[in-house]
Amino acid sequence: MVKKIDIKIGLIGNPNVGKSTLFNALTGAKQHVGNWPGKTIEKKEGEFSFEGKKIQLVDLPGSYSLTAYSEEETITSNFILQEKPDVVVQIIDAQNFVRNLFMTIQLIELGTPLVIALNMADLAEISGVSINIKELSRLLDIPVVVISARKQTGINNLLENVLKKRNTEKTKIKLTYGTEVNDELNKIKNFIKSKEKIGKRELNWLSLKLLEGDYRAEQNLTKKPYYFELKSLVQKSISHLQNVFGKDIITILANTRYGFIEGLARKVVNRKKIKQKIKFSEKFDDIAINKFLGIPLFLFIIFLMFQATFKLSEPIMGWIELLFGFLGNNVSSLLTNLGFSSLFISLINDGIIGGVGGILIFIPIIGILFLLIALLEDSGYMARVAYVMDKLMHKIGLHGKAFIPLILGFGCNVPAIMATRTLETKKDRLLSILINPFISCSARLPVYVLFVGAFFTAYQGLVIFSLYLLGIIVAILAGLIFKKFLFKDLSSPFVIELPPYRWPTFKGLFIHAWEKIWLFIKKAGTVILAFSVIIWALASLPAGVEYGSEQSWAGSLGKTVTPVFEPLGFGNWQSSVALIFGFVAKEVVVGTFGTLYGVDNIDSLVGTESLNNALQNDFTPLSAYAFMVFVLLYVPCMAVLAVVKKETGSWKWPLFMVVYTTGIAWIVAFVVYQGGKLLGLG
Amino acid sequence: MQALTEFKKTNKLKIKHLDCGQNFKRRLAELGLFEDMEIEIIKNDNFGPLLIKILDSKIALGRGEAEKIYGEKN
Repeated sequence: MVKKIDIKIGLIGNPNVGKSTLFNALTGAKQHVGNWPGKTIEKKEGEFSFEGKKIQLVDLPGSYSLTAYSEEETITSNFILQEKPDVVVQIIDAQNFVRNLFMTIQLIELGTPLVIALNMADLAEISGVSINIKELSRLLDIPVVVISARKQTGINNLLENVLKKRNTEKTKIKLTYGTEVNDELNKIKNFIKSKEKIGKRELNWLSLKLLEGDYRAEQNLTKKPYYFELKSLVQKSISHLQNVFGKDIITILANTRYGFIEGLARKVVNRKKIKQKIKFSEKFDDIAINKFLGIPLFLFIIFLMFQATFKLSEPIMGWIELLFGFLGNNVSSLLTNLGFSSLFISLINDGIIGGVGGILIFIPIIGILFLLIALLEDSGYMARVAYVMDKLMHKIGLHGKAFIPLILGFGCNVPAIMATRTLETKKDRLLSILINPFISCSARLPVYVLFVGAFFTAYQGLVIFSLYLLGIIVAILAGLIFKKFLFKDLSSPFVIELPPYRWPTFKGLFIHAWEKIWLFIKKAGTVILAFSVIIWALASLPAGVEYGSEQSWAGSLGKTVTPVFEPLGFGNWQSSVALIFGFVAKEVVVGTFGTLYGVDNIDSLVGTESLNNALQNDFTPLSAYAFMVFVLLYVPCMAVLAVVKKETGSWKWPLFMVVYTTGIAWIVAFVVYQGGKLLGLG
Repeated sequence: MQALTEFKKTNKLKIKHLDCGQNFKRRLAELGLFEDMEIEIIKNDNFGPLLIKILDSKIALGRGEAEKIYGEKN
């Protein structure tokens, strides 16, 4: 029987404080990712037991505050006010104690039942900063527990405090903003109280947010009959305070909060001057963000990443090949012995094992690529990349932060497009989304691997690298064009923290990568399985034709569109069919070739060889390259279009994407093929 | 009072004025950058973003934004 949840905990913290590490340490593999209701933002939850209680842990979006700068931050305050978690754990980086306390203050303002987990206290000690936990806990009236998320120490103590906290009252501490501000706050509170039945916590929070000019707080009120009266009251308060202090309201409140924090820090933080060795972080940053060396280093790292992906995945792919080869042979002889019809055996062997197996073989490549991308992200290097790329990104009307979704696109464009949510303005997001599909995702890799294996054995790494580079160049050019014609005046502020470098934990990396691999496996089991069967049917029907021959439905479908691809060098009907099916998912192109050339078990050695021979009959190295270019650039897969629809809120942009990407793909492949022929490469 | 972009590396400054939108101002305040706070310029290459130290963290700030934030040497 499923036990009911006893305690619901929210986990919150600034970026880079070890929040995911703690989340992983507590929940292990038992976590699931969904969306916040009605929002496109990821919601991560996990469950575990402690002292016989079943605990649900909700990972709140990592952010610097609870003010509605981005959609994510609204989620956090709504969660605390509406879903009323039993306890919220704020994880604080001891090395950045003061800044982290800004959020603590806001959590207190929100009336959150809070427990503080002080992480990386050991690292802070090394640099001479020690924090008096007992005093801190006493002054804030909040339990404070020292933990190390990475070494997994202090976790039981944290959970014990969480259980205790749940049984005690809410945090009692009252923040005072000084009489002037308090008076104005009270005016607003009294007004709202006279009009509305509202809880005390919500009332305090709402009044403060109104005073701060948080437009999201206001949005919920615009429909109320008393809105204009309230608004003018708030305006009066704001201008009164601004007159008294001679500063704007944001500065006034920031100063008040900071004053409180500074007073607190003076009592609990002890800073010793320690003569420090120059840290690795500083030394590495001398190169990583150097004005001349930063970008070359980044290119070198990306190049290494792809080399490593291939070298490391090769042996594992060999094992999977053996497994599927074995499976294919034995299943077909077993089915023959059992007396199944040859059509059915063909469905199982050519359709399912051939189609799905041909895709599963790429799991090692995709898994390792995602693992390495996670390494770049979690180590802190990705923020440096945003820094060094900021100037270049400005040329296409974006800033450095928008470069991160582009890199994620190397893994998969779906999460990459979702990652554009970290950008603040709609225009930035839209532009990043539109150029993202040109970044070559890992699903396109199997196609390249197939073709370089058949045509460019000597230069595999180089040829594939050139395709990735081409994708980046096309993305940049498209960005330039969009900037010129679609979004002339876009620019949102660029600010990003460069966290200290850290070795990510293996567990964290694996969970990160596994989530992505699992998505891929699910895709192989559903969409790709279904389409393998459809392709098989098209290749076998009408009844009686030779499998995958020109007379089959697939053959006539291909022949209809072939003339379009003739000038690009791949006027054979098989590649037309493969491209059509590639719309489902680009890796399907590989399976389709396998099916259409009648090669079972494309993942066995013999299979690979016979597929290579078949391809060599229909392609020249030049047309093979043009084909890869086309696969790189043409219409993104269905999943990408679906996510673009979701993120932009209409079908207009995904449809536009289909047309413009395919147009560009045709033109570039045409130039490559015809140009190559002119140069005598054909 | 000069824009942050005018300062060289290792200058310690006091922030005097921010000439940016409300929302961005709030974000900067949360990072610890607001009037009367002290910051340090870690890197200013005369192009690209500035790298500054606010409280205990390194923050990269776009050049366009840094031009609208003014400080004074202590």
